[in-house]
Amino acid sequence: MKKLVFLLAITSVFLVLTACSEEKADLVVTSFTDELQGPIDKFEELHDVKVDLQIIPTENYTTTLRPALESGKGAPDVFTGEIVYLKDWLEQDYWENLSADPYNVDSWEDDYMEYVWDLGKDPEDNVRAVSWQTTPGGIYYRRSIAKEVLGTDDPAEVGEMFSTMEGLMEVGEKMKEKNYRLFPDEGSIQPYTNGQDPQPWVNEANELVMTEARLSYFDYAKELRDKQYTALAPAWSPAWYESFVGPISYNVGWDELDDSAEAEDKTEVFAVSLPTWALNSVLKVEAQETAGDWAVTNGPTPYFQGGTWIGMYKDSENKDLAWEFIQMLVHDEEFLTEWVTETTGDVLSYIPVTSKISEGYEEEYLGGQNHYEFFLEEANKIDASTITKYDQQIGDLFGTEVGNYVEGTVTKEEALEEFYNQVKNAFPDITIPE
Amino acid sequence: MEKTNRRAYLFIAPFVIVFLVFNIYPILLTFYYSLTNYSGMGGIANAEFVGFGNYIRLVTDSYFFEAFGNTLKIWGFNFVVQMMIALGLALLFSDIRLKLKGVGLFRALFYLPNIITIASVALLFNILLDWNHGALNQMLLSLGIIDSPINWLNSPVYAQSAVALIGAWMWFGNSFIILLAGISGISRDYYEAAYIDGASWWQSFTNITLPQLKPILLYVLITSIIGGLQLFDLPMLLTDTRGAPQGSLNTMVLYLYNQAFKYNNFGYGATLAYGLFIITVIFSAVTFRTMYRKEVK
Amino acid sequence: MKKITLLKAFIYIALTVLVIICFVPFYMMIVNATRSNSEILQGFTLIPGSAILDNYQTLISYMDVWRGFTNSLIVAVSVTVLNAYFSALTAFALVVYEFKWKNIIFVSFLVMMMVPGQLGLLGLYDLSEALGMLDSYWPLIIPAIAAPFTVFFFRQYLITTMHTSILEAGRIDGATELHMFHRIVLPLLMPAIATMGIFTFIGSWNNYITPLVILRSPELFTLPVMMGALRGSPVAMNLGAMYLGIAISVVPIMIAFLFLSRYIISSITAGAIKG
Repeated sequence: MKKLVFLLAITSVFLVLTACSEEKADLVVTSFTDELQGPIDKFEELHDVKVDLQIIPTENYTTTLRPALESGKGAPDVFTGEIVYLKDWLEQDYWENLSADPYNVDSWEDDYMEYVWDLGKDPEDNVRAVSWQTTPGGIYYRRSIAKEVLGTDDPAEVGEMFSTMEGLMEVGEKMKEKNYRLFPDEGSIQPYTNGQDPQPWVNEANELVMTEARLSYFDYAKELRDKQYTALAPAWSPAWYESFVGPISYNVGWDELDDSAEAEDKTEVFAVSLPTWALNSVLKVEAQETAGDWAVTNGPTPYFQGGTWIGMYKDSENKDLAWEFIQMLVHDEEFLTEWVTETTGDVLSYIPVTSKISEGYEEEYLGGQNHYEFFLEEANKIDASTITKYDQQIGDLFGTEVGNYVEGTVTKEEALEEFYNQVKNAFPDITIPE
Repeated sequence: MEKTNRRAYLFIAPFVIVFLVFNIYPILLTFYYSLTNYSGMGGIANAEFVGFGNYIRLVTDSYFFEAFGNTLKIWGFNFVVQMMIALGLALLFSDIRLKLKGVGLFRALFYLPNIITIASVALLFNILLDWNHGALNQMLLSLGIIDSPINWLNSPVYAQSAVALIGAWMWFGNSFIILLAGISGISRDYYEAAYIDGASWWQSFTNITLPQLKPILLYVLITSIIGGLQLFDLPMLLTDTRGAPQGSLNTMVLYLYNQAFKYNNFGYGATLAYGLFIITVIFSAVTFRTMYRKEVK
Repeated sequence: MKKITLLKAFIYIALTVLVIICFVPFYMMIVNATRSNSEILQGFTLIPGSAILDNYQTLISYMDVWRGFTNSLIVAVSVTVLNAYFSALTAFALVVYEFKWKNIIFVSFLVMMMVPGQLGLLGLYDLSEALGMLDSYWPLIIPAIAAPFTVFFFRQYLITTMHTSILEAGRIDGATELHMFHRIVLPLLMPAIATMGIFTFIGSWNNYITPLVILRSPELFTLPVMMGALRGSPVAMNLGAMYLGIAISVVPIMIAFLFLSRYIISSITAGAIKG
């Protein structure tokens, strides 16, 4: 027994030590998905170097990477940042200033989608991170259902109907009459809550900004639920994925809602609000059965969702190689064309490549639609100036309270009050209205 | 006992060094943080010293007291259920007239939920309790026990009860084993004497079993309080990580974690840690005193 | 007598129901681990499906749960061994020798036993950063050397079971103090070590918040952290794979427990009665 314990102790200490001393790579890249593995393979081949890709799951990404960036110990050479915490990180001195010598990326500015470029700037307007993609969103819908209920599946005509919130509700009513549901859940209208005149969540005076459009989100979300325009399948839940391929079960507690409603076991979802990347990473992967039956069009307002920016760590010891890698990823026409057309299908922020690809393009999955053209148009309408570092946390808190109101557990006033309190509690420096 | 021996210092050195570096130092550092507005980013050197400002915020922070209340409610419900089952089982298995068989097997089976990683348990219940497609609702519906699915994790009462019951499910086996051992340790003579005096079952339970069991009950109670006040994994992984529905699963440690790591209020998070510490000490002390004061009477 | 038999039958039925309640969640988990996502969404059944290999592929392509298992084992075993050895050494010194500060050290133990682990968490995090130990197992393992509760327990145990005359005899035979600790004291402490070892092992195995804050590389993740990461991962879109991931984290431990249960339960009992 004693020997066994001793042996186990020695083995474990040995294993711990070996885990800490792996072969050293020439370049370490940290990200939260494996999408950079392809480019890295290519880069290793071109430059005959060894590049390590560390993937940290999204849930843990900031908590685990931040300390390394703070202390510099164990920090990667190149790392990505998602829009969620991009602004936070740009305020810290984590990424190297790419506007300075020898990079001078400012001269690239005109070749990039404006909002994407602007979002990579720190408070002093220096570019610290760049992105290869642009991620505007739209409403993806099922052509067959559009034809049956709306009489047309043409993206322009459907987009016309979707161009206001009232229009969306009208379509919702028509869908419901034929036992379809407009959206999987109420969150599908959240992208449009900023309205026609978007305001930041927190303005320069550090005040929380509540607008009419945001307040109306409460009412629209409630209307969607109460009139049963949604299928009660929360975004990213298994039921949500299931809703893209066919009818899903819909066993709501009817007595709580509307006694007169016919209790249908199953219902089919018509549309969903999703950004560019969802076409390849969500729909094509999870909904092969309905390929060709989809199209994408605009919602009431343009929006974008997600997006990955990349930069190099300010104290990296391999800056030359890191810079080569970043250049290849965002500025190498040949590589980008090949990468995008053969694998990711991303809509690129680098205009020279993107406009070339979009010419005469037909996407089979979307019934032959040229979605590049559509998304580029949408991306041009996006304004980066209303994005703040608080957006994710405040948006989450807001969404939660709207959800409580929709569920009927609190009144609108209570939900709003609770939202203000939560914001105040999480960010004591922000002044709340009233 | 030996006289002062230099080897003694050598033997306790590893303990003392690690104790100072990994226990005392972090605790003092946490205290220092609690006096600043450190965000967790940009280095402590750039943080502002705010004196006891965070502590003033703590005593007026309704979310902290709400979290305290939630933690207490969940723990209390869990403890009552757990102890009722555990004590009931312990009495059954120790009853000499019943002579139940299979004690070893039942002890093992009841203890099993306790050794499972809490994170796994939380994740498991997260999907079992899903409203629309969770296995629990599906099963209850098909058995005809309910007509429409219950949104377990969306109503504060159900959600708190669910966490409490999961806790009870995990811990009743542990308490049962300990209580059974305690009851078995009580001398048979007491019961025989009581039997001769014509005492009823209830009388021997309240006059012999409970008083004799007091040290064991105290042990179970104290360890349960200390563990219960630190409830974190279950609420963190069961809902949206912020203690939904309507903050009813926002426990003290979850609140600490969110303030420190999500909202970047590291300094206030440190203050919350001290708030939790003070509450734990008070609770342990009060429990100790009330248990032993009764004995004096 | 007949009344007793009837009562016993009733009690056994009630116990069986309780056992079933205990195991229903596990059974649901195992059944659903073998079914595909769409089957699970359609409803619950008691009959296993046939999608277990597909689920396994989905799961393993994203997260190596076995790796998490190994990692948890490495950490938990190291913690348990260090905890036992150094606590025994400290308890030995406290019992056998007389030295300055002895009482202060002992009192500080008692105070520290009341301190919740979270109190030092933020400090530990920054300390680990300063020592360059973030994203390694050291901050999880090293603190095990200083475990006041274990020392306290061992000290009480040694006081009642060890006679100083054994040590006197050893010294006359020319044995060194450390040698005597290894040859005489450690074997003597073995029952106590087993008791505390099980608690320590389970505690480390279940620890979620510390590794969550300290570890960063997925290949170092312990099982609880992996389970947490699974929730927001692409695996979550496939319920079958999700159930399978949980099952892998649970079933081996259940099997190990069933083999060791007698031993473990007697240790729990001892810990409560003597502690």
